[in-house]
Amino acid sequence: MSKNFNFWFLSSFLISLIVIIPILTVFSSFFENTSNYFDILKKTFLFEYTFNSLILLISVLTFTFLIGTGSAYLVSFYQFPLSNFFKWALILSFAVPPYIYAYSLTAFFENYGTAFTILKNLFGEANYNKHIPKFDGMLGSILSLSFSLFGYVYILTRASFLYQSQNLIDLGKNLGFSNFKSFYSVILPSARPAIVAGLSLVAMETLAEFGAVDFFSINTLTTGIYNSWIAFDDLAFANQLSFFLLLFIFALFLLENLSRKKAKYHFNSRGGFKQKKKLKLSNNKSFFAFLFCFLIFFLSFLFPLGQMLYWTIKFPENLIGLNASTLFFNTLYLVILSSSILIIFSLISNYGNRVSKNKILNILSTLSISGYAIPGVILAIAFITFIVWIDENMIQSIGFLSVKKIFIGSIFGLVIVYFIRFYSLAFNGIKSGYEKINIYVDESAYLLGYSKRKTFMNIHVPFLRNSLLFVSILVSLEIIRELPIALILRPFNFETFATTAYISASEDLLEAAAVPSLFLIVIAAIFIMITSKYILRDTND
Amino acid sequence: MIKNFFEINNVTFAIGGKDRVNDVNIKIEQEGDIICILGPSGIGKTTILRTIAGLEKINKGQIILKNKIISSKQIHVEPEKRNIALSFQENSLFPHYTIDKNIHLGLKKKQLSNKNIDSKEIIKILNLQDVLNKYPHQISAGESQRASLARSLISQPDLLLLDEPLSNVDQSFKEDIQVSLKQILKNNKITTIVVTHDSYEAFYLGSKCALILDNEVKQYDDPYNVYHFPNSIQVVNFLNRGILIPAKVTGGDSLENEDLGIIKGKFIKHYPTGSNVQLLLQPEDLEHDDDSNLKLEVVDRKFRGTNFIYTLRTPSNKLIPVAVHTHHWEQHEVNEKFGIKRPIQLEHIVCF
Repeated sequence: MSKNFNFWFLSSFLISLIVIIPILTVFSSFFENTSNYFDILKKTFLFEYTFNSLILLISVLTFTFLIGTGSAYLVSFYQFPLSNFFKWALILSFAVPPYIYAYSLTAFFENYGTAFTILKNLFGEANYNKHIPKFDGMLGSILSLSFSLFGYVYILTRASFLYQSQNLIDLGKNLGFSNFKSFYSVILPSARPAIVAGLSLVAMETLAEFGAVDFFSINTLTTGIYNSWIAFDDLAFANQLSFFLLLFIFALFLLENLSRKKAKYHFNSRGGFKQKKKLKLSNNKSFFAFLFCFLIFFLSFLFPLGQMLYWTIKFPENLIGLNASTLFFNTLYLVILSSSILIIFSLISNYGNRVSKNKILNILSTLSISGYAIPGVILAIAFITFIVWIDENMIQSIGFLSVKKIFIGSIFGLVIVYFIRFYSLAFNGIKSGYEKINIYVDESAYLLGYSKRKTFMNIHVPFLRNSLLFVSILVSLEIIRELPIALILRPFNFETFATTAYISASEDLLEAAAVPSLFLIVIAAIFIMITSKYILRDTND
Repeated sequence: MIKNFFEINNVTFAIGGKDRVNDVNIKIEQEGDIICILGPSGIGKTTILRTIAGLEKINKGQIILKNKIISSKQIHVEPEKRNIALSFQENSLFPHYTIDKNIHLGLKKKQLSNKNIDSKEIIKILNLQDVLNKYPHQISAGESQRASLARSLISQPDLLLLDEPLSNVDQSFKEDIQVSLKQILKNNKITTIVVTHDSYEAFYLGSKCALILDNEVKQYDDPYNVYHFPNSIQVVNFLNRGILIPAKVTGGDSLENEDLGIIKGKFIKHYPTGSNVQLLLQPEDLEHDDDSNLKLEVVDRKFRGTNFIYTLRTPSNKLIPVAVHTHHWEQHEVNEKFGIKRPIQLEHIVCF
């Protein structure tokens, strides 16, 4: 065997292969026969699914663009009360998953909900219900998704603004542009790649969203996939719908990848980078800037947090009834197990790619990191399809006992699918750390007598420790919030904060959903606060 | 018995499947010799060093160090198992270690060596005392390069490979380091291959120079011969220290050019009388004489410290360089006439 096929190459190859299995499964099952459900759906709901997905996508993109770039612009270029606080506080919105936002919206605006209680306390008994607007259905889904996801646009756009050359802005002023004209014709176009990258992430998350749209009973392609499997037990059709949705997502993924390449160029061009002077706003403008940022912070974080806290206090029996410690340990168990596996394998795979310099491996890893673009529902179903196929066609046919139970409805299976889902996040996070290590560093190590293993352990791992910490927290944050994979693949009686909140909410017990939701928000917020310095990447700002 | 300390026998150096330098033959006879590889950027000099270090493989020929084949089509000793150090042109310091730690990592390989280099001395010579506690990102490119050089030296290798070792070092500091470096290498008998595109650096450091042009080693000789007896027009053009003018061989020690007349000297290669040749004229070949009746027009004058290099136009429109000591009392301006001493007598005649 050639020396090129060493341990590192084989490990990376195997890891990448495991990750692309679901994509291959979805692709191959596109050609399978399905039950009648397919015909029924084709005649009736397919149009509705696609239409709803598109409406949701366009609205969320518009809304996240407006609030994401607007807030990024204000905190990057201006000084106003609490502008430094908003700079990082706005990313706390990531702590609130769309489905919990949806519970909060409903809890606040529903008949006899929190809004009703406030009005009653302020103005006395009356029938306020008909005057309180209802944010449910499509509107509720749009708001829930937008306030949870605008952070992607905010973070990337703000980073792009941060590295925008002061010269460019000075040039605008020199040409006599007003602040608005400078923003519109100089600042915004040069941040375009970052904005597109942010919006692409929002788009992928929107198309993959399950919890919030399911809660508001909006039929999208994702809920269609879930229902075709759960209600009609038609895996083949679920996979076909998945393939259809994947086409959408791959188009977006491609767009995101292309724009990220440009964004990278943008980030690297630091020549002539000067720290921008932030403009101090006059009183009126300062107030509006503050109000804008405060409203976003309030609506995206304080409002759901407050609502969940209020209900937890109002219905303390739910707190007592909830086995919080079990949920906490279950969540922690999943987080530690999954993120450790993700970090270790992503690290090995990254190093394997680095030392192997093999084209096939390169293509395979590029394909394998598309896992993040594939909705959790699809991944879970593709995984089940694959296991069932292997079990029926290979394991049982040669006389062995079924292995389905080992993978489906077990922690093992759940962790594998988490691994596939979040592999790209871990892989890319570690890769960006690796990009800071010049290849000559490795070669110097070899020439100093270090073996590949020793170079990895003694040089790379210590250097990457900050990146590893950051990536593990990021991955943990995703796992804590993740819903559909846990719902589909968790073992019987194994609940996390996310699944408990979902189950209570789907049984119309929103008050009971508040406690696990509150725990989830608080834990996620702590994680975000720990990593905010890395996420914002601007210690000198 | 060791025949040659180091040998490259008929090796084609390639990177990414693309041949860069073909059929190279270089020998270093004695331990402690320094040779230089000279050539334009992008020609494959670094590829040669990387291959010798074991970072690239070969498909043809063999590389032998201390009588042991370290690279051939069948054999490839891994880089960590060759006692060869390579100091990269680019920053190759370990980013999470201080400069001090980085440099002393070189000591790990010391047990493989019988040499005895004092790390404190190296640090002092390379002027790194003030940056020892800093991290690589906190120091300049020149300091990184010196630190990398120190690390390679301290590892006391059998063979030291230096890739443009002083390209980022300040000019004012460069000559001092060149002197000290040569001293350390000689005193400790460290066999070294230096890659550079700076011919003066190569001529100073190397006891032999390999010139790589057009994907092959054009000349491998001592610096004096490379400069004064270039073996091809490509070498002349690369060194850019002279021009070729047409001449006709008129005898065993003379030739004639239509503008300069009879030129006398010792041919380094025999040419039959009457043959037409291209004569190499270097700036030192012609002498200035204000009283001469052979006058040429000045088209340019470059001040080079110890001398001026005048560029003169001949009647047949050739441009000839002539060096004149800067203390020469009369300076000639552009468009003025400039006298050439007659008869023209050259130390040696190089023709193509």
